[in-house]
Amino acid sequence: MSGIRYSRDRRQHDRLVAFECQDCGWVSYPEQRRTCKRCGAAPAEFEEVQLAERGEVQTYVVQSRLPEEFETPQPVAVVDLPQVDGEGEPARVYGLLTETDGDDLEVGREVVARYRELFTAGDRPVHSFKFAPPRAESIGTDGDGAGDRGGEGER
Amino acid sequence: MTRDAYVLGRGMIDFGERYEDSFDDLLEEAYLALLDDVNVGSDEIDAAWYGTLDVADEGMSGAAVAHATGLFETPITQVVNACATGSDAVRNAVLAVESGQVDCALVIGAEKMRDTAEGLISLAAEKRVWRGRGVTMPAFFGMRATRHMEEYGTTREQIAEVSVKNHRHGSMYPHAHYKFECSVDDVLSSTTISEPLNLYDCCPVTDGAAAVLIGTEDLAREHAPELVRVAGTGLSSDSFVRGNDASLTHFPATRDASSRAYEASGYGPEDVDVAEVHDCFSITELVTYEDLGFCEVGDGGRFVAEGRADLDGEVAVNPSGGLLAKGHPIGATGVAQVAEIYEQLIGQAGDVQVDGVEVGLQHNIGVGRNATGSVSCVNVLERV
Ligand SMILES: [Zn+2]
Repeated sequence: MSGIRYSRDRRQHDRLVAFECQDCGWVSYPEQRRTCKRCGAAPAEFEEVQLAERGEVQTYVVQSRLPEEFETPQPVAVVDLPQVDGEGEPARVYGLLTETDGDDLEVGREVVARYRELFTAGDRPVHSFKFAPPRAESIGTDGDGAGDRGGEGER
Repeated sequence: MTRDAYVLGRGMIDFGERYEDSFDDLLEEAYLALLDDVNVGSDEIDAAWYGTLDVADEGMSGAAVAHATGLFETPITQVVNACATGSDAVRNAVLAVESGQVDCALVIGAEKMRDTAEGLISLAAEKRVWRGRGVTMPAFFGMRATRHMEEYGTTREQIAEVSVKNHRHGSMYPHAHYKFECSVDDVLSSTTISEPLNLYDCCPVTDGAAAVLIGTEDLAREHAPELVRVAGTGLSSDSFVRGNDASLTHFPATRDASSRAYEASGYGPEDVDVAEVHDCFSITELVTYEDLGFCEVGDGGRFVAEGRADLDGEVAVNPSGGLLAKGHPIGATGVAQVAEIYEQLIGQAGDVQVDGVEVGLQHNIGVGRNATGSVSCVNVLERV
C-alpha cells in the first residue's frame, strides 16, 4: 500500500496539532479542514491549536477477535484530548491502548499518548500515538520505557 | 405535486448459509418469490432500485439485477449506503413513485456474505492512523454498551435480553437463519468478542436476498390484498467526532432520520405498533428504542427486560428475529424488513403476527466512514 496518505497529516500525527473552528469551537484532528463538521460553516475559519498528551477515556471496549496483525486482548477507546492551554474544546479521537489489557480502564480515566510505530505502509514505518494508563498507576506492564522505542506488540 | 406510494407485494427467501447458491441465484429467487406474491408482469416494472454492498464482488451495478432477473432495457440503480443500503433503496423507489416519474418500482437487495472470510471484520485492518484503526463493528457498537451502562445504570443482563427476545422470535419465523432459543445465561457465557459484547450479542454472517414492489395507489388497489402506504421516510448521517456526547451512547442519525419519517407520516413513536429495527448487536436495538422514541433516553434496558418490546408489548420489535436471529445480508436487510412490516400490516406474518397492527416502522443504522460516522434510514408504513 502506498505511504502517501500517511505523509499528508504527518505533522499533526507527530505533534498533536489540531484545528479549531472560529465559528463554533469544534476541533478537527488530525485533518486540516476547510469546512466545519459541526456547524457546517463552508469555508470555516480554522486556527491551529496544540493538543495535550493527557486525555480522558469517554468509552472503550476490549477486543478479543481481530485480524492476526493485532495482539489481543486489544483495548480501544474514544478519548477526549484537551488543548494544551486549557482553553476551548477537546478533540475527540479513537485510540488504541497499550501497556494495559483493559482491566484497569474505565470511563473518565486519564490516559497518556505515547508515540509508537503503528504499522508499516509498504516498507515504511508509520508512527503515531497510542494511549496508556499513566505510568505510576499502570498495571500489568512489563516495565516503563520499553514501549517508547516503538515496534513492540501490535504494529 | 406529489402522490402516495404503496407496497404492492414482497418476495422473501430463506436467509442462511446458502453455499449451493450463487449471488445471481439469490437475486433470482427473491425476484421470483415477489412475482409469485403479486400478479404483476415483468413488463409492468418501470424501474428498479438495487441494494447491495457487493461484498462478494459479483454484483456491481444495475446490470447485475438485469442479468439475474431478465429486466434488461429497464433503468436500474444500485444503492450503496452502508447498513442502510436496503432501506435507502426502498426510500429511493418511494420517492420516484411519489414524484410521478415511475408507476411501478422494483426494490431488490442481496448480499453473499459467506463467500469471503473477511466479512465485517475487515474494517479493523484499515490502515488509518487516527480513524478506525483496529476498530471492528463489535467495537464500534460495544462502546455504546460500555458508556450506556456507565451513564444510565443499564445492566449487562438487560442488554442480553434483546438477544433472548429476538432468538425467541426467530425460532418462529420461517426465513430466519438461526432458529434456536437462548437464555440470558447463554448470552453472558458465550465467547467474548469485544468486551462487553459476546458472540450471542452479535448477528451472524448470512447470505440472503429480498424484494418488494412499490407502486401507485391504483396498482395497490388492483394487486395488493390490503392497502399499505409508505407514510414517511427519513435519511440522515452523523459522526461522533463532531463532539456531541449523545453520539457516545446513541445514534443522532437515527433520531434525525426518524424525526423526518415521523413528520412526513404524521405519526409519532406512540403510534407505532410493530417495528423491524437494526439489531446488528444487542446494544444497537436497546439504544434504538430510545432514539426512535419508544421509551425515554436511558430506559432501553428496562423497556426490553419488562417485555415492552415483545410480540404483545407496547411496540412489537423485531418479530422476524431481527438481524440477530434472521441474519444480516447487508443489501437485503432493509428490503426484508420492509417486506416483514408489509406482511404484518396485511396480516400474513404467520406465527409472529402481531395483533391489531396499523402502523409499522423499519429502521437501519450503518457505520460510515472510517468507523466514526453513522447513517440511518427510517421508513414508516401504514395500513390504510
Ligand atoms: Zn464550526
